Amino acid sequence: MAPGEKGSAATASGFPTAADPAVEVAGLVKQFGDRRALDGASFSLPAGAFLSIFGPNGAGKTTLLRILATLSRPTRGGVRLLGIDALEEPERLRSRIGLISHKSMLYGDLTAAENLAFFSSLYGGSPDRERINELLRIVELDHRRNDAVRTFSRGMQQRLSIARALVNDPDLVLLDEPYSGLDPHAVELFDELIGRVRSGRTFIMVSHDLDKGFAMCTHALVLARGQVVVMAEKDRIDRAAFRDLYLATVGMGVA
Amino acid sequence: MARKVSGLAQYRALLAKDVRQELRTREMLVSMGVYALLVLTVYGAALAQVGDRLQVVSFAGGLLWALIVFTSLLGLNRSFAHETESGCLEGILLAPIDRAVIFLAKATSNLLFLLMVEIVVVPLFFLFFLSGAQLAETTPLIVLPLLIGTVGVAGVGTLLSTMTIDTRGKDVLLAILFIPVVFPLLYACVSATSVAFMGVEGTLGTFWTSCTVAGCYDIIMVAAAWGLYEFVVSA
Repeated sequence: MAPGEKGSAATASGFPTAADPAVEVAGLVKQFGDRRALDGASFSLPAGAFLSIFGPNGAGKTTLLRILATLSRPTRGGVRLLGIDALEEPERLRSRIGLISHKSMLYGDLTAAENLAFFSSLYGGSPDRERINELLRIVELDHRRNDAVRTFSRGMQQRLSIARALVNDPDLVLLDEPYSGLDPHAVELFDELIGRVRSGRTFIMVSHDLDKGFAMCTHALVLARGQVVVMAEKDRIDRAAFRDLYLATVGMGVA
Repeated sequence: MARKVSGLAQYRALLAKDVRQELRTREMLVSMGVYALLVLTVYGAALAQVGDRLQVVSFAGGLLWALIVFTSLLGLNRSFAHETESGCLEGILLAPIDRAVIFLAKATSNLLFLLMVEIVVVPLFFLFFLSGAQLAETTPLIVLPLLIGTVGVAGVGTLLSTMTIDTRGKDVLLAILFIPVVFPLLYACVSATSVAFMGVEGTLGTFWTSCTVAGCYDIIMVAAAWGLYEFVVSA
């Protein structure tokens, strides 16, 4: 698919189609006073895919991600995630979603293990020591399990936030600018960790970094002024044309 | 994965987290405690010229509640500091948790911390200002309005501090919202506390009426806060 081509066509139900869709978004509108952050965004994503969302500041990327994370409700439109209507049954869905943001969402005065135990207990699991140890091993922080998070570097906090996002073993993982503030080594480690936990999960990442986002994804989407400008599988994208399109949307500015 | 999630287990986890964090940092307790001591010092300077201790008894209820309300404001302003620092509140909201459980846990932890400060401050208040006064036999009854009042302050304060989390000038805004909203509670508690301090014969009915008004206020406001919390925390 060439840049400029629109994403998946909407069906009669309003939801775009994708084989075995994990994410279906239809005509999403989010209004903040006079400003429309999302203006009819529609797309669908198959299970197991990795979608990178690009767009200029104010394009509506974070708003979209917050709606997908059930942290915000759209003004209009529909969202179906993992076969569940996100607006009708957000609580049922929450146990199957993880979010990694540029904010760590970790308590600085609690230890790494205490943070994971706390978030684990919110998902109905009695804090399972083995599971917490396993998560800490995955993110290579088991040697710091009893240290307060505020003593961690930014990169270590971001690794721990991956573990936090996985405490509920989510099927859908959302990443909101996860590379913000990370040095190149921490970025490398972060990518490696994401690679390790990719299997069997669907990922959606919001990023400003075209190269990084492209390297990670199976699908790419450009959002501008709250609308999907293009969405396609990576293999079907002309990379140079996509870059030009992205740069053109950055020039479009905010809605 | 869709495990059955118990609201009680989530409540306990949230409360335990708040208590553990506060015991580790002592941010709220120390700031409220130090502030209360400073207010007592100011009271001391202001009342230094009052010769007759009985005069202090007549307005001790008001002094005590002014101390409690302003000290509570300081603590309530800090109560969501940890939740917002690194986006932790969003981490909690991502979980399949009834928003009312978050309110209940935070209100309970605020109540615990306010009571802990009161346990230290109220005896000091007696020591500094009422040690030489002739207190009525009904004075121990002040425990009741203190308890009822603190429940209301913690409940309403938790709701309002959630509303002001992301606002500019939240310290001032919380006070602007909080004091008018708790005014009926404050009025009833000052009345009950003053009656208990003075112990004038035939006024005990006023004490019980004031406590009932304060209790009804607590029930209505805490129930309203419980119901509104989903809307407030998601806004």
